[in-house]
Amino acid sequence: MSAERLRVAGAAVVSNVDRGGRMAAVFIAFGWHIGVNVPGLVGGWDDYRVPWAALAGWVLFSLVGVLATARLFYGFAVPVVPLLAVLLIVDVLVIAVVPDGGFFNAYNWAWGTIGWFAILLLYDRGVAALVAVLAANAAFGLIGVVAANTGSGAVDLSRFVMYVYGTGVLPIALVAAMGVLRDTARSAAANEAARAALESERLGAAHAQRERQHRLGIVSEAGGALLHDLATGRADPADPDVQRACALAAAQLRRLIAESDDVPDPLLHELRACVDVAERQGVPVDLIAVGELPVLDVAIRRRLAEPLAATLATARDWARVTVVAQPDEVVVSLTTPATAGPAKESHSWPMDGVVDYWYERDEELVWTQTRWRAA
Amino acid sequence: MDADTVASGMTYGSGGARTSVAIVDDHPVVLEGVRSWLAADPRLEVVATGDNVDAVLTVGPADVILLDLRLHGRMAIDKVSELSAAGQRVVVYSEHHEPSTILAVLDAGAVAFLAKHEGRDHCVETVLAAAADRPYVPPSLAGAMVGDRRSSRPALSDKEREALLLWFQSMSKASVAKRMQISEHTVKQYVDRARIKYARAGRPAATKSALLARAIEDGLIRPEEIGTYRSYASPDRPLP
Repeated sequence: MSAERLRVAGAAVVSNVDRGGRMAAVFIAFGWHIGVNVPGLVGGWDDYRVPWAALAGWVLFSLVGVLATARLFYGFAVPVVPLLAVLLIVDVLVIAVVPDGGFFNAYNWAWGTIGWFAILLLYDRGVAALVAVLAANAAFGLIGVVAANTGSGAVDLSRFVMYVYGTGVLPIALVAAMGVLRDTARSAAANEAARAALESERLGAAHAQRERQHRLGIVSEAGGALLHDLATGRADPADPDVQRACALAAAQLRRLIAESDDVPDPLLHELRACVDVAERQGVPVDLIAVGELPVLDVAIRRRLAEPLAATLATARDWARVTVVAQPDEVVVSLTTPATAGPAKESHSWPMDGVVDYWYERDEELVWTQTRWRAA
Repeated sequence: MDADTVASGMTYGSGGARTSVAIVDDHPVVLEGVRSWLAADPRLEVVATGDNVDAVLTVGPADVILLDLRLHGRMAIDKVSELSAAGQRVVVYSEHHEPSTILAVLDAGAVAFLAKHEGRDHCVETVLAAAADRPYVPPSLAGAMVGDRRSSRPALSDKEREALLLWFQSMSKASVAKRMQISEHTVKQYVDRARIKYARAGRPAATKSALLARAIEDGLIRPEEIGTYRSYASPDRPLP
């Protein structure tokens, strides 16, 4: 569950990084198309062989650019290959209408711009497709240069190579750089996700460990010293006080074991465990629960059950345990003949203001009650 | 088992002052046991026993019917409604003491509910109180009332709730009195007032009206307190 969340978060990091690259590609393409190509088109208007064809080509480039941008940012499904074909056709068209001697200047705008627009269409499709488009572009350019045949063949060829190099390298470099950046972000996000998963696992394990140690502490307190005294003969199993202490420790152990069980009504489950210990000692116990128990934290359940369990462990004749539950209040009580529990007449104390505890003993009965009220 | 007349051959007490009781149960052993409990009390006279309500009633009228809720495998709550509507005082006793069952029995108009494990003293007291149209609330009934979360439940005061809760917990009025620092008599008043509020709730029945009338007569509640729910929340101090 949390691993899945981390994976999604990682994907979000990658897509954020990538968004920067896509924006750069769009800015470069349209910046070039408007900042460089428009003056070229205007300046060469009178010189183009068919000016309208050059203008139509410019408009087609713009259309392809807008569609490609929609794909990049909003995931619109656009036909990539046909649009690439449109770009190449416009490329050829502009080369064909450029006036003599205008091949290497801004009049021949499509030839220098096609790389940036191809990037918009091929952004996440690897470098190879882009190189193929640029190679086709170079081939068309070479045919154009040869066909123009200006008479200065060697110089033109040298300029041609220089231009091909200049217009090809930058788009390829951008695509390659973004690919590397994407991979880096993806692996960083994956690492972070794995690290976070490991960390939460570690925290969970530490928490479980603390819980276990806490319970172990209570258990040792409850039974450890007593067992030691019994083993060394310091405590006499026939002594009623020792028997009482044993019963108390047994009840505590049972309750602690019950605490970690996964059951629908944990409080009742824990109380039943205490009742069970008393019944094994031959004390009939009535456990009566009324109402539906709200979900209670283990610490609250412990405070509700522990004081009663201690008295119940010393019950002799009979005992009655009641639970009255409401959404905002749970009252647990134990009534038993006055032979059980500490002799002290009556006391009550609030436990952290969350669970209150009362203990009363008169000639006849011991009555104890724990009461939790929702804050 | 058919209904048989127990009273035949018995001598009646002075002026028929004894309370006549009919017992309906489909377990002969339980029937015998309960009959011996009640017969041991000079104020009570068991006039008929049987495993069938109609057969038992043909023997003759009884002040109180002690009715086992589960007869021949089915819950007789509709029978309780029918009898109560006709003004017959019914005390339901059952081993089924889930709060929802107890509250349904009260709604149906039973004068009292008794869990089978609650023993002789509660049984005798309940029947005597029922015959006098007075409330008697054994601990199991107190538990059902204090845990009642239905929206139709009557509004109990804090003191009434506390008295019910402690009575349910300890089953000793003396103990409740000590903890609430009031007299046992006042404890009983709180508990009985709570019970009377239930006589107002749900479907009307002749037996409920009788309980209310007697409560007013005894000064347990004032007539104006029966009017609306709002008045139930008014002074929670018991009447002198």
